[in-house]
Amino acid sequence: MSAIELISLVNQSLFIGLFVAVLRHALRERTRATLDTALLFGSVAAVVTVSRLAQLTGTSDAPLTTPFLLLLLNLAPFAMIRLVDDFSGTPRWVQIAGAVTYVGIAALGFTFAVQPQLVELAIITWFVAVGGYAAFAFARESGRTRGITRRRMRAVASGAILFIGAIVGIFVGALLAPEGAFLGIVSQVAALAAVLAFFLGFAPPSWIRRAWREPDLRVFLERSIHLMGVNDERRLIIELQQSAAAAFGATGASIGISDGERPVLRYDDGSGDWMELPEDAFIAGRAFTQQRRVVALNAATTDPANADVYEHTGAHTVIAAPITVDDRRIGAMAVYADRAPIFVEDDLWLIELLADHTAVLLEARDLARHASDLQAREEAARLKEEFLSAAAHDLRTPLTVVLGQAELLERRLARNPAAPVDAVGVSRLAKEARRLRDLVSELLDAQRLEQPGAVMDRDVVDLREVVDVVRKRQLEHDLAIQVEEPRTPVRSSIDRMRIAQVLDNLIENALKYGLNHVPPQVRLWEQGAEARISVIDHGVGIPEAEQDRIFDRFYRASNAQSITDTGMGLGLYICRRIAEEHGGRIWIEPTAGGGSTFTMALARAEPPVEPDVVVAEPHWIGPTAEAAADA
Amino acid sequence: MPDVRVLIVDDEPDIRATVSAMLEIEGYEVDEAANGADALEAIERHAPDVILLDMRMPVLDGWGFAHELRRRGHPMPIVVMTAARDAARWAGEIAASAFVSKPFGYDDLIMAVERVRPSG
Repeated sequence: MSAIELISLVNQSLFIGLFVAVLRHALRERTRATLDTALLFGSVAAVVTVSRLAQLTGTSDAPLTTPFLLLLLNLAPFAMIRLVDDFSGTPRWVQIAGAVTYVGIAALGFTFAVQPQLVELAIITWFVAVGGYAAFAFARESGRTRGITRRRMRAVASGAILFIGAIVGIFVGALLAPEGAFLGIVSQVAALAAVLAFFLGFAPPSWIRRAWREPDLRVFLERSIHLMGVNDERRLIIELQQSAAAAFGATGASIGISDGERPVLRYDDGSGDWMELPEDAFIAGRAFTQQRRVVALNAATTDPANADVYEHTGAHTVIAAPITVDDRRIGAMAVYADRAPIFVEDDLWLIELLADHTAVLLEARDLARHASDLQAREEAARLKEEFLSAAAHDLRTPLTVVLGQAELLERRLARNPAAPVDAVGVSRLAKEARRLRDLVSELLDAQRLEQPGAVMDRDVVDLREVVDVVRKRQLEHDLAIQVEEPRTPVRSSIDRMRIAQVLDNLIENALKYGLNHVPPQVRLWEQGAEARISVIDHGVGIPEAEQDRIFDRFYRASNAQSITDTGMGLGLYICRRIAEEHGGRIWIEPTAGGGSTFTMALARAEPPVEPDVVVAEPHWIGPTAEAAADA
Repeated sequence: MPDVRVLIVDDEPDIRATVSAMLEIEGYEVDEAANGADALEAIERHAPDVILLDMRMPVLDGWGFAHELRRRGHPMPIVVMTAARDAARWAGEIAASAFVSKPFGYDDLIMAVERVRPSG
């Protein structure tokens, strides 16, 4: 036996082996696509078997052998046209033309003995035309699909091209015999490669399916971990749907979430809203109410009431599974495709896996949420406790002095009504009583500002006026604040009393921590759409690690303890809340050369009229300065 | 009444002045310190019979002071005076003889001092 014959024999046994595998698959799962695949492989296997038998029995040259072989061989393109329809769709006339052509060419085969060239030419044309058409259709389908389906379509498209090459090669090889024997063998190998590619694409064995699906499945799992942190539930569902569809190489997926109380499932309607449907509606609803996997190879037939919806969404075939953890029915997941053969048998196992994974994810997310709610509540309770305890502590000290001094006066008076009044004691008493009053108002103010929306009485005000009011008030206390501000109004919609309070607090704060008693500076300016006010001091500064916390309730910078301070540590908290209630913000930065700069940013109410500001911000686009400022 | 010397340790000058006025009316000799470190110095100058001690103070707090005081072998009783809720526990922690919670009145303070001061 020559090497060429050996290759040929191995080749032919492989054809038959693959046919047996495909046939078993088709018998187990009898759909049009599996039967068409079996037909394609059967035609090649039959040709191989019959020609071997003819060789063995010495009937190769019998008059009916060749026409019979051609009858079988020509079935392959016919099966191919049907497969194109199964996976991608072909116009009806193509199918009819295919059937007619097959019958015609098969009939022509019986004239082979008389006009072999014509028959061969017809057959080559038939194979090349169908192969080309199939290659084109599957390549287009691979561009339209994703994941495992795309890989399958690519495999069959390359199979179709190899198939054309193989057929042409075999005929040309036969024509050039005996010199063409080598070409014939190469063509046989190409035919084998084509059949292998068809096998992988049309009836992929499970290990290939697993390997092809692995990347998308991995993406699903990896993505789903990050989805734990997604707050918006609708976005989470959409992402899960996309990942699930990709893992199947399917057209799409939908996830319905149970309401828990009412018998409805909530779906994303595709346009940014939820849509509620009765819990037993659609295939997903069946999976939910029956708590089992559902396969609808033809969704429109399985669920005729919603046939038009399936048609509209391209959901020809739907598989669905319930999303359930233990006894908690969370919802259902459905994956759909416009072609039945997109799904393969173990996709049922896969959808169950993805549904279970989704269930765990949603449940874990729910638990994490409850836990963080609980934690937030506990934290709030702890802060309140701390607040009260710190407030009580801060109030007790001046109260001790007030009570003590009052009782001292009372006792001295009782012992000697004529004794001169202890002037130092009285002024101490008055001083501590005032401090008590200030602390109580600070406390009440902070408490009031605790509630969002507690402020405000807002007007559009030129911030320069507010700065001026504060400056004059400080001047009454013999403090000359240095102010730097533009010559044009800086307008913002504010509660002017509150904003003045922020400035007073910041100035007081600056004085408290400004060791060298240099009066703080105030700077007002505009930056983009914001009006900004800074209070700049040259004091001890705040350690960087604490700069975020100084705006918390009762927080005093660690290096402030050694400095005489009388407040409750609520001043900056009050400033922050006032800024926040205005939709603004407040922060601290170190002052160059030591000290701290506190800056509050508020939204500007309107742009300044000077056009030069627009020029200064050339990245603004828009017809008017007003539009730019709104942006 | 024999001379009984009381040291007031508190970082608030107004508290020291008030407590000091109360004790002087009752005939005690009074000394003042603004924190634990100052108090240790004051004790070396002139040992008191009773110490009135605030707990939360800068430089050296009540715990640090009490520890150092006992380490140096001074046996005099301590009365804790604090605005914190944990007055009793803190007093226990430094083995104080008594405590008064701020805000305390005239009688509260005097009774606490009388209870712990050396009799005679």
